[in-house]
Amino acid sequence: MSERSVRLASAVLASLGVAITTYLLYVRETGGSLVCSTGGCETVQSSSYAELLGIPVAALGLAGFLVLFVASLARGEGARLTNATVALSAFLFAAYLLVVQIVVIDAICQWCVATDVLTTALAALALVRLGPASSGRWAP
Amino acid sequence: MSALRDRRLQLAVVLGAAAAMAAVLVGASLIGAREDGSVPPPAAAPALEPEPSLFAGIEQSGTALGSPAAPVTLVEYADLQCPYCAQWARDALPTLVDDYVRAGKLRIVFHGLAFIGPDSNKALRTAVAAGRENHLWDVVHGLYLSQGAENAGWVTDSLVREIVHGVPGLEPDTLLDGRWQKTIDPELERFAAAAKAAGVQGTPAFQVGPTGGRLERVEVASLDPEGIVPAIEAALAR
Repeated sequence: MSERSVRLASAVLASLGVAITTYLLYVRETGGSLVCSTGGCETVQSSSYAELLGIPVAALGLAGFLVLFVASLARGEGARLTNATVALSAFLFAAYLLVVQIVVIDAICQWCVATDVLTTALAALALVRLGPASSGRWAP
Repeated sequence: MSALRDRRLQLAVVLGAAAAMAAVLVGASLIGAREDGSVPPPAAAPALEPEPSLFAGIEQSGTALGSPAAPVTLVEYADLQCPYCAQWARDALPTLVDDYVRAGKLRIVFHGLAFIGPDSNKALRTAVAAGRENHLWDVVHGLYLSQGAENAGWVTDSLVREIVHGVPGLEPDTLLDGRWQKTIDPELERFAAAAKAAGVQGTPAFQVGPTGGRLERVEVASLDPEGIVPAIEAALAR
């Protein structure tokens, strides 16, 4: 898989993350109801874990996905390292939030699970982009 | 060889930085959860204190308030976001509770509707979950007294915790977890069906009649006690 393909795939996944977190923020700000087939979205989104020091987790997610989108499109060592660091930290934090949903809140939000899937894939792509196989080669 | 070593070092640095960032996020999340800083109450919410003592010593069973042996039953159809319903709860309900329910003359049954919007649904489900613990009326009244602007997101976890705090024997997590269970749905459907059968087209709406007997719709002329007391007195006199 060429680095260009990896970057494009990452950008597509990050843009999906931007769309989901924007939707979550929009519903939160307008007081609307989430489309939810799992039944636990409202519970999760209204729980104390939906905010982090007063900032909606969805807003942090949006910021993270935007950084990943830009870092995916950008070339160079800095972009690659930023992409990997943010993607891996997002993956770890998403794993923590998934455990919280299952163990603490006892409710599953389908949108959170969707972002979990996205961050997992983004982390895997970031590792591929960072890995030795791509070192010293460049496929524009 | 050196390039490979550099890559491994780079990977280690990235993994370390990512773990550190995630640890900071998790730590902040845990601190926030412990402090219960869930969602700040909306500015539109009036700073009124719930009055859980209004129902102290009165039997609550499911959606009903008062003795099942009371000769007269009053059914209230209401949306917890409806300002007129809140006004009735503030202005008329305390008198009915003190003069009729405590005296064993009246039983009041709550039939909640959720037509105004998402906060109506959230509030109603919370109230029904409280009804499962026989504390519906404590929560309904607390919600009315804290009613915020329509669909402003005022039915927060912290508001529910605040209301439940004044209700002995009721755990907030029971409501916060229980309100989204699918077993709540049939009860909401039952309320809606009863409202349709009674011809309810706006709230608050009332039915009065002998307990276990035929209830009649009552059009209240005002939201103070005088609006409903004549119908209750008439039912008691039959």
